[in-house]
Amino acid sequence: MKTEPLELLIVDDSAAIRKILQRVLQQTDLPIAAVFEAGDGQQALDLLRLHHVNLVLSDINMPNMDGIELLRALRASAEWQHLPVILITTEGSPAKVAQAVELGATSYIRKPFTSDQLRDKLSALLSA
Amino acid sequence: MISEIREHLAADMLFAAAQEVFTSMLSAQLTRENSKNESVAPFDGVMSFVGLTGEWSGTGLLICDSGVACDLASRLLMANCECITDEVLDAVGEVTNMVIGSLKNWLEGHMGAMKMSTPTVVYGKNISSRSSRNDLRTSARCSYNAGQITFTVCLAKV
Repeated sequence: MKTEPLELLIVDDSAAIRKILQRVLQQTDLPIAAVFEAGDGQQALDLLRLHHVNLVLSDINMPNMDGIELLRALRASAEWQHLPVILITTEGSPAKVAQAVELGATSYIRKPFTSDQLRDKLSALLSA
Repeated sequence: MISEIREHLAADMLFAAAQEVFTSMLSAQLTRENSKNESVAPFDGVMSFVGLTGEWSGTGLLICDSGVACDLASRLLMANCECITDEVLDAVGEVTNMVIGSLKNWLEGHMGAMKMSTPTVVYGKNISSRSSRNDLRTSARCSYNAGQITFTVCLAKV
């Protein structure tokens, strides 16, 4: 498990989901120093320019810039091409999963999810 | 095709989608009640809509009273929500989004690709709703320890 303080970014247009993710993150034993929130992909990119983020949790369906476009922008950037990105969405179709993996999503969680599923996924990724 | 999607099967899938959301994210067990596919009679409470568009278009709907809305928000946000606020309405919208989104994944296998809008949530007294055209209308009325909640989907071929 990494021990340096972690900075995470939640990207979701739903305030309710952002709040749920914040609560779940608070309940983990990960050394989280800060959790930033963005309402769409463009806001996420703006925040990433200001902060050194260790992992992004992003919805797919969002206004302005969606999660797929955000992922595409990150993978095209030298700075963020290896940044872990977990996509979280109700879009559970195999085609969407395949598209997300092909574009370089590190992992994928379908809503609804349990707190344990999310915690396990985060712990596995951040300890790798 | 509509002939392949009997309304009771869609209702079963709607209930299954709701049950999955309640079990995994709200720590509650839903029980299915008898329901009729009829227009919503005027009531006091919360009504949450998401639009579905594609070859088939329409609306997914959640209906509950204010006590249930507060309980849903309390469970989802792990907070104590005692009265209707924007936070409670956002939480009800998100529950609608997850339930109808899960059903959409199943519907797309039969009715073609669909896009889903962000939720709109209405809170008030003596509210009712009506869809002007329904080629497929199905409902799942459910209960759990905080009260009753009804999910409805109305779709029409474009």
